Amino acid sequence: MRRISMGLLIGALVMAAAAPVTGAPGQEGAAGEVVLDWPTIWVPPDSKSETIAALIERFNEENEGAIRVELEGIPDYDGYADKMNTQLASGSAPDLFIFSPNPTTFQYYDSDVLMDFTEELSGPWSENFVSGYIEASTRNGRTKTVPYEIGLTPIWYNSAHLAQVGYDEFPATMDEFWALADALKAADIVPTSQMTGGGNAWTSMLWFSHLAGSIGGPDVWSKPLSDPVFEQAAAVLMRLYQDGNTTRDAVGGDAGVSGGHYMAGNTSVFLNGPWYIGRIRNDAPDTYSATKVAAAPQVGDHHGHQIGFMLSNLAAANTDDPNRRAAVVKWMQFMTDPENVRFVSEAAGSMFSIKYELTDAADPLQKAFVQASSDATFVIPPLTVAHKVQVVDTFKEALAAMALGEATPAEFVQMLVDANR
Amino acid sequence: MIVRSGRSWFWRAVFLAPTLALFAMYFVYPLGFVFVISTLEWNGITAPAFVGVQNYLDNFQARQFQFALRNNFVWVAALAVGKISLAALVAMILARQPFAWRLLRTVYFLPIVISQVAIAMMWRAIYNAEYGIINQALERMGAMHLTRNWLGEIATAFPAILTQEVFYIGYFMIIILAYTMTIPESYYDAAQLDGANVLQQERYITLPMIKPILITTMTLATAFALRHFEGTFLLTDGGPAFRTTVLGLQLYKMTAALDYGHANATGGTLVLIGLALITVIRTTFGRRDAASDSAQ
Amino acid sequence: MSDIAGAKLTFGVASGRTLKWLVLGFFLVFTFVPLLWLVLSSFKTNLELTTRPFALPEVWQFQNYVTAFRIAGLFGLFRNSIIISFASTAITVLVTSMAAFVFAREKFPFSNVLLSLILAGVLIPIIGLMAPYFRLINALGLYDTRMALILTYTGINLPISTYLMHGYMRSIPGELEEAAVIDGATFLQRFTKVVFPLSKSGLVTAGTFVFLFGWNEFIYALLLTSRQQVRTVQFGIRHFVHQFFTDYTAMFAAIVVTIVPSIIVYILFHERIVKGLTSGALKG
Repeated sequence: MRRISMGLLIGALVMAAAAPVTGAPGQEGAAGEVVLDWPTIWVPPDSKSETIAALIERFNEENEGAIRVELEGIPDYDGYADKMNTQLASGSAPDLFIFSPNPTTFQYYDSDVLMDFTEELSGPWSENFVSGYIEASTRNGRTKTVPYEIGLTPIWYNSAHLAQVGYDEFPATMDEFWALADALKAADIVPTSQMTGGGNAWTSMLWFSHLAGSIGGPDVWSKPLSDPVFEQAAAVLMRLYQDGNTTRDAVGGDAGVSGGHYMAGNTSVFLNGPWYIGRIRNDAPDTYSATKVAAAPQVGDHHGHQIGFMLSNLAAANTDDPNRRAAVVKWMQFMTDPENVRFVSEAAGSMFSIKYELTDAADPLQKAFVQASSDATFVIPPLTVAHKVQVVDTFKEALAAMALGEATPAEFVQMLVDANR
Repeated sequence: MIVRSGRSWFWRAVFLAPTLALFAMYFVYPLGFVFVISTLEWNGITAPAFVGVQNYLDNFQARQFQFALRNNFVWVAALAVGKISLAALVAMILARQPFAWRLLRTVYFLPIVISQVAIAMMWRAIYNAEYGIINQALERMGAMHLTRNWLGEIATAFPAILTQEVFYIGYFMIIILAYTMTIPESYYDAAQLDGANVLQQERYITLPMIKPILITTMTLATAFALRHFEGTFLLTDGGPAFRTTVLGLQLYKMTAALDYGHANATGGTLVLIGLALITVIRTTFGRRDAASDSAQ
Repeated sequence: MSDIAGAKLTFGVASGRTLKWLVLGFFLVFTFVPLLWLVLSSFKTNLELTTRPFALPEVWQFQNYVTAFRIAGLFGLFRNSIIISFASTAITVLVTSMAAFVFAREKFPFSNVLLSLILAGVLIPIIGLMAPYFRLINALGLYDTRMALILTYTGINLPISTYLMHGYMRSIPGELEEAAVIDGATFLQRFTKVVFPLSKSGLVTAGTFVFLFGWNEFIYALLLTSRQQVRTVQFGIRHFVHQFFTDYTAMFAAIVVTIVPSIIVYILFHERIVKGLTSGALKG
């Protein structure tokens, strides 16, 4: 027995010693070649991974001997954010990385860790971008990240369900919406998908943002959270959780619950971005072909707006080396080139802050998203982008309290105000 | 009984050095880091400001922190008392080597090798209000009124998480079983001759003999209960309305929000509570855990 | 013994037996069902998983396994996981058994204080130490190497392993060592010939824990490495977690693939070594 355990131990130690201890990353290639490491969240099977990898391959070929970008796939979105935060806080930002803009991450603008693109982006390069996105990526006059992927999260509805109860269009006002909800319930269909789980109560948080926009208009997020707008929006959201307007597992439910019910045809109304198109097309073809998108029903003075936001900006570590800086800028310009963006967009079904035209190869539902974006009377970001992480973390718990009858809309708003201290 | 031999100072130092060096790197230095940062207001980006114990005071005033604190104490009771009792019960049964005991021992251990993500997904499915197996069974029995949104209601969410965790006894059961099987069989033979039945034998021979390992496992269970994070993160993320949150989860969320001061104050609080609890366990049980139980 | 007492005893024994099997049966179901569910689910579509979580797959999706292997690149990751888990287990067990030996069998000033300090390490919430560990590994120049993970897993598991090893070493009767000393055993021989071999039970208990920790750990593996060449199987599993949805069934297929080696290791090592326990030196 002793022999065996000692043998195993020694064997393992030998293995450990023999395992090649490889060198640190960021190794320079041939003389004069700038190597840029890019830890990316877009790893297989993410729809963007293949096209981005193909783009990078082309970039490296075009700049052979001068610049080489090394892709480092990092799976797990939360893990990516944790890793980037830890590296940034330790003063060792990766050469290139993906920046998810919100009030919490914009704090990085206050330091020198990010490369500043203000000069470059005030020149002709800025014409590549849809207006507004560069401003949205600017704080105190400095643009330290480059706008890239955007999200648009309109109302998705199952037109077959609506037709079944006699509607051929999505209701324009909230009163009409409640009538539709009653008709759907009479036909044994649950009107909406909702969720309070999944980290940020995504579907319900988007509902709340749509409702707040309808009541408060384009400047709604510049109002303090104590403004009556948010209490009114909360009251409508609360009703969406009552009287069978959503499924029983909505409180505590995650994206699997909310998306699963919509895909399975249990619910008629759902909110999400274009990244969900591929999923629903594969998993639920019937629901996919019945899906149409719309603006949220009007509840206040405003109608026809959409929730849209910068999903991923491109960022780089600051450097004193002019060669490295030039290489990074060249890569940024390559990534935001309209032709390259169209290539990624069509293959992956995502939307971007860059001006480009989709060809006929694009998915019809994706085109509907682009249409919804250009039809929008105004576009505001969702709560997750307008407020810092503490408010987002509290939102889902306050919503659960309200849905369970533990809190009134006024108390719900108070919880958000407290979290925003 | 301690054996002494000459010139052992050198060897003692050699034997202790690697552990002490690694301990300094992985615990002394990081703990210093935790306590220093817990006194700062810092987002990891701009210059930190010294705030003294303010972060600790803020934490204790926050409602979700109070829920987390209370829940952590319930976790300690559930794991250190509930889980260890169940583990000891099963270990005592298996130590008598009933039919297929080796197989059972292996199967009981298996959940530990499965990633937490999969276990949590299964329990989310079991507890789900619409498709869940519990509600389906209740409906079939005509007990519709008993169905619940198990992980989504304030009354049921926390007990639901606790229940599934308490019954995964595999690791502790194996430790206790290994220890139990070192009790000499002659003790039981003698008791048998004296007419003691099985229950009496367990009560008067096994339990006193395995007391050291029970205290060891209770100490470990207490530590795990205080560090508990992943199961809750995956099952409810602390909801509904913060009712299931724990300090580890609060710490994680504060870190993700770049609020390093409050996050480390939470970490510091956990360590201090842990030290107090472990001291209580060790003094209450007369320091007779396996770790301090000298071979007489 | 009267008839009534006899009947009572028989009844007691019978109901005791029923109770015993009820307990064992309950835990059997409780622990085996997750495994079964996991395997079944890994053959479903994601929609089936959410809407009919306890039904058999309508069409068995063997595709999930193809996806798991193709996308996650599991083969290369296996090699790293095996090296990292084994090495950290071996180093932890060796290092802590040496320290535990000194704590358990030698007397020196402050030994109790030192031991208590190390044991307190069990309490530290590891999740809160991302920043210091990242700095440490960078300072050592080990970022993005297997050694970074081997060392970190060893460090993290020091307290629990020392605690367990110390407990077992304490319980070894002193007479055995005394006899060895009389026969002329040195300090080193007392460890290698007497105490270490007799601590099998502790070795296995601690070793199993460290091995499984290394096999299942994800957060530090993510934080301390960046290239595919040094990553562990947990990366393969997490490939299916996206920003807005998770491909659970393909992930489950990857999990099934990754737990097979764990189970084999467990059965081979654990069962073999534990077998010696019932006839070990401590007995009788």
